[in-house]
Amino acid sequence: MSDVTSSRATFESPVVPDGAVPMPRNRRQTELLMLIFAVVVVGFAYAATGLGLNDKIPASLLTYTAGFAVIMLVAHLAVRRLAPWADPLMLPVAAMLNGLGVVMIWRLQEAGRNGIAGPQGGPLNTLTASSATTQLIWSALGIVAFILVLAFIKQPRVLQRYTYTLGAAGLVLLAIPALLPSSMSSIQGAKVWIIVGGFEIQPGEFAKLALAVFFAGYLVAKRDVLALAGRRVLGIDLPRARDLGPVLIAWGASLLILVFETDIGTSALFFGLFVAMIYIATQRTSWLLIGFLLFVGGAYLASTLFSHVGARFIAWLHPFTLNNLNCGAVSTHCVPSYQVAQGLYGLGFGGIFGTGLGHGQPYITPLAQSDFITSAFGEELGLTGLMAILLLFGLLVQRGLRASIAVKDPFAKLLGGGLSFVLALQIFIIVGGVSRLIPLTGITTPFLSQGGSSLVASWALIAMLMRISDTARKPAPQPIQDEGMTQVVRAQ
Amino acid sequence: MNRALTRISLACLVMFVLLLININYVQAFQSSTLAGEPENSRTFNQQFLIKRGPIYATGDGSNTLIAGSRLAKNGGGKYQRYYPDGPLYAPVTGYDSIFGKTGIEEAENKFLTGTASSLGLHNFISLITGKPTEGSTVSLTISPKAQKAAYQALLNDGGHEGGVVAINPSTGAILAMASDPSFNPNPFTTLNSATLDKVSQRENAAKNEPLLSRATQVTFPPGSTFKIITSSAAFSTGKVAGPNSTVPAPVNLSLQNGNFLINDAHGACGNGNPPIIQAFWLSCNTAFGGLGIRMGGATLHKYASLYGFNNPNLTIPLPVAESKAPKETAPPFEAFTAIGQFNDEATPFQEAMMAATVANHGTLMKPYLVQRIQAPDESVIQAATPAPLSKPITPQVASYLTQMMIQVTQNPAGTAFATVNKNVTGGILIAGKTGTAQTGVPVTTTDDAVFTCFAPANNPKIAVGVIVKGGGFGAAAAAPIAVKVIQAFLGKS
Repeated sequence: MSDVTSSRATFESPVVPDGAVPMPRNRRQTELLMLIFAVVVVGFAYAATGLGLNDKIPASLLTYTAGFAVIMLVAHLAVRRLAPWADPLMLPVAAMLNGLGVVMIWRLQEAGRNGIAGPQGGPLNTLTASSATTQLIWSALGIVAFILVLAFIKQPRVLQRYTYTLGAAGLVLLAIPALLPSSMSSIQGAKVWIIVGGFEIQPGEFAKLALAVFFAGYLVAKRDVLALAGRRVLGIDLPRARDLGPVLIAWGASLLILVFETDIGTSALFFGLFVAMIYIATQRTSWLLIGFLLFVGGAYLASTLFSHVGARFIAWLHPFTLNNLNCGAVSTHCVPSYQVAQGLYGLGFGGIFGTGLGHGQPYITPLAQSDFITSAFGEELGLTGLMAILLLFGLLVQRGLRASIAVKDPFAKLLGGGLSFVLALQIFIIVGGVSRLIPLTGITTPFLSQGGSSLVASWALIAMLMRISDTARKPAPQPIQDEGMTQVVRAQ
Repeated sequence: MNRALTRISLACLVMFVLLLININYVQAFQSSTLAGEPENSRTFNQQFLIKRGPIYATGDGSNTLIAGSRLAKNGGGKYQRYYPDGPLYAPVTGYDSIFGKTGIEEAENKFLTGTASSLGLHNFISLITGKPTEGSTVSLTISPKAQKAAYQALLNDGGHEGGVVAINPSTGAILAMASDPSFNPNPFTTLNSATLDKVSQRENAAKNEPLLSRATQVTFPPGSTFKIITSSAAFSTGKVAGPNSTVPAPVNLSLQNGNFLINDAHGACGNGNPPIIQAFWLSCNTAFGGLGIRMGGATLHKYASLYGFNNPNLTIPLPVAESKAPKETAPPFEAFTAIGQFNDEATPFQEAMMAATVANHGTLMKPYLVQRIQAPDESVIQAATPAPLSKPITPQVASYLTQMMIQVTQNPAGTAFATVNKNVTGGILIAGKTGTAQTGVPVTTTDDAVFTCFAPANNPKIAVGVIVKGGGFGAAAAAPIAVKVIQAFLGKS
């Protein structure tokens, strides 16, 4: 016993003068350094894209990069003030992904303009000459949201007070597009928007955050009853029938999204989020099993009942058949697989090292700036670059989970676990869909995809994770009165 | 809850690992399968998105652009090929269209598009430095002076079709390859497939077959120019000791099938038993027909093959049509083969190789068009190294033939004296042999005119083969074209 004490004391105290408590470092310098690195990488990517497109360094290189650097610096300063103990890696990783997304959107917006190679018949009609600038402005608004979350939520448990308010808000946000007429809610078949006066908001992105908070609050309150009551059948603890209520409601809600908003991705995301959180709360494998069976059953039911769901499966299995490739234009009795096939062609064309930024033809793939942006990265940065991007996302998820494990407050634990998992699940659903691991369902790629709602919501999510991490790593408050050092018993 | 969180972390890890494995599968292993999908337009588009390497003619120290690439108007960043001199170099360059390529465009496509495996390192460096993969520069041995002279002369020959080939005898470097008719390769470079269809149909349907290079793709009877090979065989086998040894040259050479072979002049050849050199400058059919019978078809076939005949696989790197001198066994046909008639066929290219062999002291150098290939950074990827293709005759026999070919142009009785003597050529001593090949129609004005020669005879720099279809006498129709090419190349006119 005395040996242990002795060794710990000598280990912790060599640089600390006698009388001072050793303070763990808050790692803000590391964050700044990594952030500078991220900004430099983004700046280089932007320059390389310009050189690739027309052998010129983009005229706006300095303004764009400086603008981006200022936005991120503001975020960093806010973290220094509002969450000084937060994880130092999250902000730089998110910043790099955000910046690379803007660069790719600029690359796609330039295709077909100013004599740059592009699709036949001019630039992409889904992008304007200022799409990248808009995305950069959204990035700034994302950082505003990031700072607001850090400023108003000083402790994760503050949110617990608004469990039901946020739950209701989340459901309303989810339901709005389904209730609005198509002209105000539907873009390219996905009825997940609110379109007001030229502004397009995807409320589902924010509903995701609100519902995660709701689930966390609800489950923290009910987890004992969900975990303990029930019967044991075949070695599995089954919950009581009446406790199945919430999971059935979540399942029903996600099915309703599927039916009324024709959005399989979002519905899978919500259901996955709920099942993961109920599992974290109860630690009961039976919930995973029930959730899995409900999901498979729901998916099967949906694929037989709704043609648009079944079509996704067929396009997944047979993307290269001529009939499906030319669906709509030439063929009938087919499912459109043109986009999936083009995405895969792009990935294959990039190969291991990629064509280099600006040298590929990602503009051939429809919606390369949103759903298929990972395919665009895979084409121009190759397998190497796409793996790096996936690892960045992986790092983000890992840091989030690590903070959740470290934090003591069960609500924060649950919320952090849920948010990290939903981030991973979202990446899995969209990248898996693009690379044909699973059937394609159109959802955004966090930070990379074009679109303000997704970007703002993603920054808010990172802010929540950083708040949880800050809470976890913050040293316990020091006693005001110096009572002297804890006596160290030195072994003689 | 930490145990559950650890398991959720594991689930996240599994999801990311699955994604990573899957993109590895798609991008590393499925890459080539995807590239081969018939509906994959990326592979097809790619070739137009990189700047195809230029082709230069560098034969006489010049650096003349004969094929270049520039951004197409409203082409969405696609490059389009253009040929500044169109039909002049078309038999060499061929064309580069969205459906296919011909000529050097086809033969050196991998270098021009920058995808050749020997460019791997350069491309890798370009990738690292972010430079686009650009095509390599192909420099040809073609001499713009000789090429222009050849094409102009063919155009002004009275509407006959024909081909001209010029070779540097000591290296095998091809100096000119002209054809009349030729075609304009520029319309083929359109990026619009419907337009290309029309152009392609029009050119393919044209009666005079302009896409067919008369220099390398069409064979004609070589006529009396084949007597170079017959003489080579006679000297080499010892049937005739030297240029002044006599050979029998009757007025009529009786063939065993009851027919007679006669001389073009319908008379005796010298005194009926002239030295072979005289039979050569007079181009007596009976003398060489008789030699052919005495030596036999196998010997003629052997020497013709050494000179380049009977080779279907010659590439320069464009494929050259096979010139034929089949192995005859019946004496009448042996006689006809010996004077370049009956089954004998030759391209103008083969004619040039014959003269080049004699000029290069009996060694035929492997002909080549590509002088060097340079990566976009100007480093040389590939450079031509002259190599012998065959050694048909000894330097001794080559000197006999040179003497005889000089007499053809310089002896007042020689067949080409009127058009190729030193006073006509501005002092250039040209050694040559005429051919006037009967094509089955018994009127000499419809004969194919053939001329093969090299100059200057004492220090050969250029060997030329000319065939003018239906041009008539070789000396009258073909020889003047060769003279113009030589004058242009040697800088005297």
